[in-house]
Amino acid sequence: MIEALWQGLINGLQGVWTLARIVIPLMVVLEIFKANAWLDKANGIIAPPFRKIGLSQEGAFPVVVATVFGLTFGSGVILANIREGRLSQQEIRISGTFMAICHALIEDTLLFAVLGVPLWILVFPRFVLAVVASYVVYRGTELFRFWRQTKSEKQRSSGRLSA
Amino acid sequence: MTLTLPIVKKGLNKGLLTTLELAKVIVPTAMVIKVLEASGALDVLAGWFAPFMGWLGLPGEAALVLFSGYFINLYAAIGSMTAMDLPMEAMIILAVMLGICHTLIIELAVSKKAGCPVSYILPLRLGLSLFVGVVLGGIIG
Repeated sequence: MIEALWQGLINGLQGVWTLARIVIPLMVVLEIFKANAWLDKANGIIAPPFRKIGLSQEGAFPVVVATVFGLTFGSGVILANIREGRLSQQEIRISGTFMAICHALIEDTLLFAVLGVPLWILVFPRFVLAVVASYVVYRGTELFRFWRQTKSEKQRSSGRLSA
Repeated sequence: MTLTLPIVKKGLNKGLLTTLELAKVIVPTAMVIKVLEASGALDVLAGWFAPFMGWLGLPGEAALVLFSGYFINLYAAIGSMTAMDLPMEAMIILAVMLGICHTLIIELAVSKKAGCPVSYILPLRLGLSLFVGVVLGGIIG
């Protein structure tokens, strides 16, 4: 039993050392990004393709922050953005869907990459699934809105007829 | 570009704090797994989960990696992975499944604050994670 505990300790510390060599430089780089507000500046360039999944420039920003910094590290910016209230309910749902599936893409990917898992297989499925799920939410909410609109229009016109 | 000593220090500080966080989770998880392994309990647990894990192309003991990743965090999952001797195919499947769905207790709270209810995000992430597991398991498992 002592042998097992000792072996676990060694394995664990080796794991910590492997990850520390990735995590510490990464945090320094992310801090430099933050201090220079590089993401805010780049958002104008990054945001346009997000219009395809129904996100405006404001709506894309929390998604970009979450993808680079992660949900917990980026939560300050993400929640402030939501609280400012410039996002529609639909955009909140779309960006929330995207962020839940795809976030901390740098940190999470590197953690597994140091164990020997190929980089692309960590990034590709997450990103693609996030795009697909967000698109489904976008189209779905759009359809729902259209359905409600036509329904209320029908009610209005039938009401007029009976009157 | 502003690059001052305080910024670098702040980054180093965060990195060291994260490393401490890593150590607090990874070391005990790895020790627990090794004890479970030595006592034979890991084999028993692996036997229980083997049928379900088979759908994902994973060995039975991988269930413990999934649980520690889903409920605690990725560090705990990595801690148990380092203590087990998993084949690379299993590591790939686990990494992709856990990338999509992890640290649920904390992250569901963040998602909720960001305006998306748990009843929506939980099935979304868990469902996609299992879906990807079944697909990848079918291909490489």
